[in-house]
Amino acid sequence: MILGDFGTSYSKFLDLSAARPEPYIIPSKTTTVENRVTIATGHNGKRFSDRYVNELTVLARGGEQLITENDFVLLDCGSRDIKFIHYIDGRLNDMGWNSECGASMGFTIELLARYYDLDYHVLPVPDRPFSVTCGVLGMSRIFDDVVSGTPDAEAVARFVMGIAINAYRFAGSPTKLYLSGGLCDNPLFVQSFPCQVVPLGRFVLLEGLKAIARKDSNPQNSKAQRH
Amino acid sequence: MIKNYKNVGIVGMPPLEIIRQLNADNITIHDLDTPMIRADIELTAPYLPKVYCAILRTVVLNALHLHLEAIYIDVGPGKCDCALHVATVLEDMLAIPVIKTRNEDTTGFGNPICRTRMDLVQKFEQITEGVKTAEKSAKTPPECTPAAGFWGVPPRDFSILELFPATTHIYGWTRCMENKTPADHELELHYNPEVPTVFYAQSFCAKTALARHLALKHPHGLFLDSDVTAGGSAKAKIQAFLELSGVY
Repeated sequence: MILGDFGTSYSKFLDLSAARPEPYIIPSKTTTVENRVTIATGHNGKRFSDRYVNELTVLARGGEQLITENDFVLLDCGSRDIKFIHYIDGRLNDMGWNSECGASMGFTIELLARYYDLDYHVLPVPDRPFSVTCGVLGMSRIFDDVVSGTPDAEAVARFVMGIAINAYRFAGSPTKLYLSGGLCDNPLFVQSFPCQVVPLGRFVLLEGLKAIARKDSNPQNSKAQRH
Repeated sequence: MIKNYKNVGIVGMPPLEIIRQLNADNITIHDLDTPMIRADIELTAPYLPKVYCAILRTVVLNALHLHLEAIYIDVGPGKCDCALHVATVLEDMLAIPVIKTRNEDTTGFGNPICRTRMDLVQKFEQITEGVKTAEKSAKTPPECTPAAGFWGVPPRDFSILELFPATTHIYGWTRCMENKTPADHELELHYNPEVPTVFYAQSFCAKTALARHLALKHPHGLFLDSDVTAGGSAKAKIQAFLELSGVY
């Protein structure tokens, strides 16, 4: 059984029938019909499976598996959207999915690093952010600041911080935030949040799909493993 | 005067007295709040801002295409301030009478459809169709135990309703619609804290404030808004909410 998280930029897979299942990643632009899976999620997932589960549900199931607290906020920052779930007492309390105003956030952050030849592992966290609502609208702030003399790296860092603060507010401004998605590997982004951040990596949705696969194969034991 | 009309449009819920008269005179009523025309909603751009309530943009789109002889538009507490302003736009746009009404009817017709087991799209279709008649339905469908709740106005895009189970109870202004008391604010505020409920409003509508407020008060509520059509993320939120709430 192969599980697939078909994101906008990257697709993540897990082959449960392998001797030692390990997740693997390929660029989404290279996916073909050969990449059909048993259960899929993600922006492109419907094209690659007969069994599709929407990303918010999968995110919640992944959070239930990976987070031990009963109260938590889990934010997933993807290439084209941001989404969060908020649990209280082990139950869903709130959720959100922003594919319009959160548009192209992760995509733009990656694009900027290539364009300006920057490494987010060495960029310092700036003193202040740009006020940005989405990747597309924030780009003009960078260009304006660069034209007025701000170094490229600082302008981009302010942009990244603005994006992080925007995502933090979208998730309800929690004191502690579990973070999912490829941006977990971006230290500038992670450190730009004004709260405690626990990065869970980019395979949270695969964990959610694993839980769903277990539920599919054993519907009697369908309750999540809560505490 | 009214007897000379054959086709009139209504916006919101004009008072029952007017609907009764239109029914008695066999005048065809067109509910302009509902999508009736397969035309690009951007055709309304010369008359209304693009960022505006999709229901009222739909009203203007319908008014541009239908051959109406008059429009009754409710601008009272049972509709909204925006309808008052759209009435002014319609008056200047069209060469037909645009008659403003204030529906403050208080006689309740009940809300059995809101509380029965029926496909949610069909429930909304029956309730919205009901604004064209002054008669109480002869049939009273039985009440069911609710598994979920939908609070709010009839959405511009009914496809979001397909995601709910048939045992979804309807609350909010739609319940006021079925009860034929659109200005009954107390009834509009009512919800059932025992069932997971989606609190819905059209984007850019003043009711978004109330929907969001009640969703926060409700122990298991989700606030949702959508514009002309509901996008994938809006539908995914509903699906995930219902699934994670144990409705499915």
